[in-house]
Amino acid sequence: MTITPDFVNDITIEELEADPYPFYERLRKEAPVAFVPALGMHLVSTRELCEQISRDDENWPAVISAAGGRTFGPGALLNTNGEEHRELRDMVEPHLQPTAVDKYIDDLVRPFARERIAAFENDGHADIVAAYCEPVSVRALGDLLGLDDVSTDKLREWFHKLSVSFTNAAVDENGEFANPEGFRPGDEAKAEIIAHVDPKIDKWITEPDHTAISHWLHDGMPEGQTRSRDVIYPNLYVFLLGAMQEPGHAMATTLAGLFSRPEQLERVVDDPELIPRAVAEGMRWVAPIWSAVVKRAARDVTVGGVDLPEGSIVMLTYGSANHDEHAYDAPSRYDMDRPVKPTMTFGGGKHACAGTYFANAVVRIALEELFESIPNLERDTDHEVDFWGWGFRGPKQLFVKWEV
Amino acid sequence: MADKYTVRVTGKNVDIAVGEDQSVLDGALRANQWLPHSCTQGTCGTCKLKVLCGQVDHRDSPEYTLTSEERDSGLVLACRVTPRSDLVVEPLGAVDDRVPHHPLRDHEGTVVVLDDIAAATRRLVVALDEEMHFNAGQYAELLIPGTALARQYSMANPPSEARLLEFHIKLTEGGAATEGWIFRSLAVGDRISLRGPLGQFHLVDKVEGPVILIGGGTGLAPLKSIVQHALAEDLAPELYVYHGGRREVDLYDVEFFRELDARHEHVHYRPVLSEQDWGGATGMVTDAVVADFASCKGMSAYLCGPPAMVTAAVKALKRRRMSPRLIFKEEFTVAPPLPDADAAAS
Ligand SMILES: Cc1cc2nc3c(=O)[nH]c(=O)nc-3n(C[C@H](O)[C@H](O)[C@H](O)COP(=O)(O)OP(=O)(O)OC[C@H]3O[C@@H](n4cnc5c(N)ncnc54)[C@H](O)[C@@H]3O)c2cc1C
Ligand code: HEM
Ligand code: FES
Repeated sequence: MTITPDFVNDITIEELEADPYPFYERLRKEAPVAFVPALGMHLVSTRELCEQISRDDENWPAVISAAGGRTFGPGALLNTNGEEHRELRDMVEPHLQPTAVDKYIDDLVRPFARERIAAFENDGHADIVAAYCEPVSVRALGDLLGLDDVSTDKLREWFHKLSVSFTNAAVDENGEFANPEGFRPGDEAKAEIIAHVDPKIDKWITEPDHTAISHWLHDGMPEGQTRSRDVIYPNLYVFLLGAMQEPGHAMATTLAGLFSRPEQLERVVDDPELIPRAVAEGMRWVAPIWSAVVKRAARDVTVGGVDLPEGSIVMLTYGSANHDEHAYDAPSRYDMDRPVKPTMTFGGGKHACAGTYFANAVVRIALEELFESIPNLERDTDHEVDFWGWGFRGPKQLFVKWEV
Repeated sequence: MADKYTVRVTGKNVDIAVGEDQSVLDGALRANQWLPHSCTQGTCGTCKLKVLCGQVDHRDSPEYTLTSEERDSGLVLACRVTPRSDLVVEPLGAVDDRVPHHPLRDHEGTVVVLDDIAAATRRLVVALDEEMHFNAGQYAELLIPGTALARQYSMANPPSEARLLEFHIKLTEGGAATEGWIFRSLAVGDRISLRGPLGQFHLVDKVEGPVILIGGGTGLAPLKSIVQHALAEDLAPELYVYHGGRREVDLYDVEFFRELDARHEHVHYRPVLSEQDWGGATGMVTDAVVADFASCKGMSAYLCGPPAMVTAAVKALKRRRMSPRLIFKEEFTVAPPLPDADAAAS
């Protein structure tokens, strides 16, 4: 074990949630693999090491953080490996393959995006996160899953509640959760989800349809059998949290980034073909899944010069990897013209995001529609841009205005 | 053209023959294989291609349009680059094959009209030996006799008049084409060489919403073609034509447009002067547009003229919530200085 520097000992989750960047900048420089007592695990902060570990699933099988495990329960994609993981990927991937996504995505996203814009476009101002980014994000995935009967606001409420539980990571000196109350919102959301989805599953078992959850139940199962709810629910929570939340984060983050570079915003508005580039840089600038991926050492290993015994738990901080000075000049500056370089935004290796193509398409279409209808969008400078989060990060609110 | 190389464009299943001294764009358009382009002089960057395989000569591609970083990553300007081997190339942007395109051809013609129509502005009408088919709004390149230079001028006549091309030409002081030729030695009866059609500034299909057309100076030329074509084919529900100039002496074809305005319920003509008080609208032409429309949602626009005016007009229309997708632009950019002119100057 190495000695833990004071700045690492003293860090709190609240500080990280407010602004994790200064702390991680120091970690990358002074302790790229550091044990953080407040979290009870090692943090890996450089791009090189995050990439190396995420790809090496043999030495570094995936586990879920303690708080994540407490929130999702056993059996989620995130903490399965090998054959079991492959089967779960086979369950979720068919709807998310690029060729499948291309077939349905426009009809899934555009009409709803237009409807939302029509509801506020004559107001001249909005908190674009609540009015647009989150609703478009959750409605698209909700309809795909088969939760078209759950309101947009309810879906937003569910992911917010699951999110605070998932990132309720602080532990005390005994390794116990420092804030057990913090899991209550997630538990409430899960109770509601089960109450709502259970009867739907009953129906899908006898009457399969085109929705994703119906397919999860039936695909690859022997005639007359369906997958157990114990398999469905933990993975449904994965979708109802990250997959619901992150496209919205990506939209708002990209807008905030573009607002910091008005000339780049103008180019993107004038030429929607630049949107994918602008979004990729937005998600590099502030990775939506900032610090949520956890791995376990399968044997004694040395990483970044630090010896770790078998069973050591490390957290990969993709938000920090995306700011690695060795890969990106002036990393804290949004610049869609910077040289294109792969990022850790969607992770790596066998556990890399299953929804990359889908998420990118949702974000792209949402911004296309927004700029098409409100090309004179600007930041409302009466409000600060309010980024928040350490596990997941994005603007909590983003106030915008336009001439009407 | 001595040697020809074969250029294959990904997504198009044809081999295009391109000569050693020919641009890839020129070869493609002559083979009726559409590639995006806007200025054909190396200033706009619309024609960027990625070379997937083969050797090229960038020739006079300006550094400000194609940076050395872009060259290193395999990008070229189709309107400048010439092959040095067989090539496989990929367009950067989407290739719009929905509208019909007419192949690029060399043409010869005779000057039948050369009139002064406004301050330092001439109308040139060329009777072509053979028809040139084009889309309303496109331009041609006139070859300056005795030089290897060509300059772009937009057709002002409707496409239905495929043998009588009308151009509006503004004098550029010290300009090779204008001061050196069109305003000096050119005369009725002269023979002229040109190539066309070129460009992607055009109105082809019926549009649902009103159309706003803003021309600065001789930027009116392609708009005149578009308006006549739209009227003949009934392509637009409303046409608002704005012509910006400094003083009354800069305006031309005023009677022509006034008459269209009087004759057609849905044609509206507004000349705007920035440096003279007169009976009509004053100020910047873009400000007049902003004042006239509370919202431009669902409308489209055709903007043509000096780059600064086009940029200001885009801003103004976005303020009025016109979708950028429906804003079409033609900028009268100046040809880049000749490399040897640079050398001579230094
Ligand atoms: C797509 C397209 C369509 C066009 N259509 C028309 C048209 O319909 N009617 C029309 O009149 N023109 C049109 N133009 C402009 C035209 O092609 C010529 O650029 C223009 O006539 C000047 O050519 P020139 O040979 O006389 O001057 P050049 O020899 O090209 O220029 C002479 C010198 O003056 C400088 N110079 C010229 N203008 C400026 C300026 N505004 N600011 C700073 N320096 C300048 C140049 O750098 C150069 O050193 C179009 C241009 C394009 C790209
Ligand atoms: C911009 C939005 C999104 C971002 C930035 C993002 C990012 C990530 C990241 C970083 C991971 C962890 C990868 C790793 O372990 O290295 C992940 C996992 C995952 N993502 Fe996404 N994601 C987004 C949206 C989505 C969407 C919309 C879906 C589904 C429709 C989705 C489905 C998944 C799944 C199923 C996993 C677990 C994969 C596994 O463990 O095998 N994601 N995502
Ligand atoms: S730079 Fe080639 S067409 Fe404009």
